[in-house]
Amino acid sequence: MTAPAQASEPESGPAFADRVKALRLQEYALAIVVVLLFVVGSILKPDTFPTWDNVRNMLTQASVVGVLAIGMTFVIATAGIDLSVGSMVAAAGVFGGILVGTDGTSSLVFIFGAIAFATLLGTINATAVAYARVVPFIATLAMFSIARGLALLLNDKLPVSLLDLNGGSFGNPRPFSLLWFGNGRIFGIPASVYVFIAIAAAGWIVLNRTRYGRYVVAVGGNREAARIAGVPVKRIIFSVYVLSGLLAGVSTVLLCARLGSASPVSGNLYELDAIGAVVIGGTSLAGGRATIVGTFLGVLTFALIFSLMTQLNLSTEVQQVTKGLIVLGAVLLQRSDARS
Amino acid sequence: MTKVLEIRNLVKEFPGVKALQGVDLDVLEAEVHCLLGANGAGKSTLIKCVSGAIEPTSGEILFMGEPLPPGDPAGTLKLGVATIYQELDLVADLSVAESIFLAHEPRRGPLLDLERMYRESAALLARLGHESIPVRAKVGRLRPAAQQIVSIARALSGNVRLLIMDEPSAILDDGEIRTLFDVVRRLTAEGVGVVYISHRLDEIRRIGDRVTVLADGRTTATGLPATTPTDQLVEFMVGRKVDQLYPERPVGTDRVLLEVRDARRLPAVRGVSLQVHAGEIVGLGGLVGSGRTELLRLIYGLDQPETGEVFVEGKRVRPNRPGHAIRRGLGLAPEDRKSQALVLDWSETKNVTIADLSRFSRVLLDVRKERASAHKQLRSLNTVPDDPDRIVRLLSGGNQQKVVLARWLLHQCRVLLLDEPTRGVDIATKAEIYRIISNLASSGLGVLVVSSELEELVGICTRILVMRDGEIVAEVDGNDATERELLRHAVAPTDAPELAEEVV
Repeated sequence: MTAPAQASEPESGPAFADRVKALRLQEYALAIVVVLLFVVGSILKPDTFPTWDNVRNMLTQASVVGVLAIGMTFVIATAGIDLSVGSMVAAAGVFGGILVGTDGTSSLVFIFGAIAFATLLGTINATAVAYARVVPFIATLAMFSIARGLALLLNDKLPVSLLDLNGGSFGNPRPFSLLWFGNGRIFGIPASVYVFIAIAAAGWIVLNRTRYGRYVVAVGGNREAARIAGVPVKRIIFSVYVLSGLLAGVSTVLLCARLGSASPVSGNLYELDAIGAVVIGGTSLAGGRATIVGTFLGVLTFALIFSLMTQLNLSTEVQQVTKGLIVLGAVLLQRSDARS
Repeated sequence: MTKVLEIRNLVKEFPGVKALQGVDLDVLEAEVHCLLGANGAGKSTLIKCVSGAIEPTSGEILFMGEPLPPGDPAGTLKLGVATIYQELDLVADLSVAESIFLAHEPRRGPLLDLERMYRESAALLARLGHESIPVRAKVGRLRPAAQQIVSIARALSGNVRLLIMDEPSAILDDGEIRTLFDVVRRLTAEGVGVVYISHRLDEIRRIGDRVTVLADGRTTATGLPATTPTDQLVEFMVGRKVDQLYPERPVGTDRVLLEVRDARRLPAVRGVSLQVHAGEIVGLGGLVGSGRTELLRLIYGLDQPETGEVFVEGKRVRPNRPGHAIRRGLGLAPEDRKSQALVLDWSETKNVTIADLSRFSRVLLDVRKERASAHKQLRSLNTVPDDPDRIVRLLSGGNQQKVVLARWLLHQCRVLLLDEPTRGVDIATKAEIYRIISNLASSGLGVLVVSSELEELVGICTRILVMRDGEIVAEVDGNDATERELLRHAVAPTDAPELAEEVV
């Protein structure tokens, strides 16, 4: 019964800066990294890198993973993980494509079909993790396999063309039709970028300025304490996996809209991209610390790095190795930060 | 005789707390040096500084005349300083031999040398006089006393010159304590120096050679003979006098705020009924394991009861729904603040408001109003420093407890359940917390307090209920209660005389 306060962890100390401020600092640092990457790219490839075309291209690609990363931020804030988002994107795309069929009736059928299907898969994750108490890693690893299998089964391993929705070509999609989300522009900026920014902004508000968001971080920060403070822990955990599925559906729409087809092998390793962006953004894998701004900047960082590597003619294999190393580095950095 | 350990003017500061403020200690070869002190005196901090678990702020720690590597437990162990902590840190699923050689297993090439491990484990246990402990058995199946012997054997598996034991007798019965003392004497006979921590005065005369007393992080007496009279030792233990540790005892009203009927969840709680009136502080005394914490958990809806109902102001609280209990007006300050009450990486504000966020949110949270309200509550409790944005990890135990209390003040709860409210809190802050609790009761709340410090219950409670084996066995009026009487109720009648000898 000698457990005095003095026995608290030695890691605290005067030099141990305010965590909130530390988080902000990391966001500023990452913003500088984004600018630096852009400058470096512009110096190395002055003719092709700092062009409107390239920037537009980068942002369009970034928005697909970006939407996933916003959902992943919520999941990781609860100290969970969702490994199935890439597979869910593929399955939802093929499912939506089948709904549309060849007569190409309506974009809305695809959009709602894909989002509903991804949300359904997310709900299965949610049930397994929150109520059946399966570890998030295992539950979503299972879904990783299930959803990929479904994507291949649903249309006999074949991609579905979605060009019929636009009279058989990419040309001049109507505003708010499917292909417009991948190829349309407002004031020269791709429609998908607006979608990503809108979702990121909504994510920021929900995480930082609502009771729900506070609960999400509380559950990750100290599950037992959250329960004793009256937080409905299971419902919160359930909700983040549903949200992750829903946003995987949105991401599906952006991806298929850009490609004009839904492929059962699409979305490969998107989960790594999304988790990587969240982690380098500063959200703690141990839960309890989450930042949407960080995730947003993390997504941009990844987009810049890989655009630059592509322009420097580095192979996708090299890019994949780099991606893995960056994620590993970010996690290690986070760990040493937590111990300092 | 050679000095094994020499500590000079050791200081250790944590944010907000000076845990050690100048400690001196010498330990000789072949002696048992007892370290005595009340809860929170700094005993655990002191031994953690020696073992390298934490780094001291200043001061000297010399082992065999050489400074020990600060903050390096592995290096310290290698030099021959072994520590056995209060909570046995054994892995239940490992065998006895595996436990003894954990992290320094004998190897033959890349493989474990199991034969040698078993042989040497048996030899170590024999050296302690316990060759009967089977080296292949799983540690989890042994009795606590045998587990302790395994811990000691593990400490001895290196070349130990100094053995530190943190309240080794706390979990042992009297026969087992005798066995432990035999083992300690065998070690001193081999020349090992032993630091023996306890707050049971009777043990010191039985095993100790000399005594050092800590109070409020200072050595108030060092190197006294173990034969020093009890009165004198107690005098040293009290240390700094605190004016009026306990506030005036609140008087209850007739209005029932909390009623519990036949709460049952076997094996810990076996049918408990009680009432708490407005304006009352009701104490729940009893030994560790008597079911007090479990009862609080049932009342608050953290566990599913087998039978029983809970009413707050006449309205039924749904079982196993903490959120509903909170809405009905209950608040709980749990036993372990760090793991059960607080999000340590959060600001004070967020920790205060988490149980009552709807107060600040329509669709969006009004974070300014949130901060201002939390600040007001924290200030009313005199939380130090006066900064609602401070991360709670950096606060002292007492201020962390104030954050938890501020949470329930903000929520304007009707009945406050407190589990060991002053654990890990220094004496001055204790007095403050008692005053806060007393003020809350006077303002019309009902308070139910679980505490293992009998003195505290006697000091602040209107009434005290004593639990034993999951049932309430006695009710004592606070004005008439004595520690001795409570203890007599708390232990089964047959053990009473021996345990009543425990002082502090």
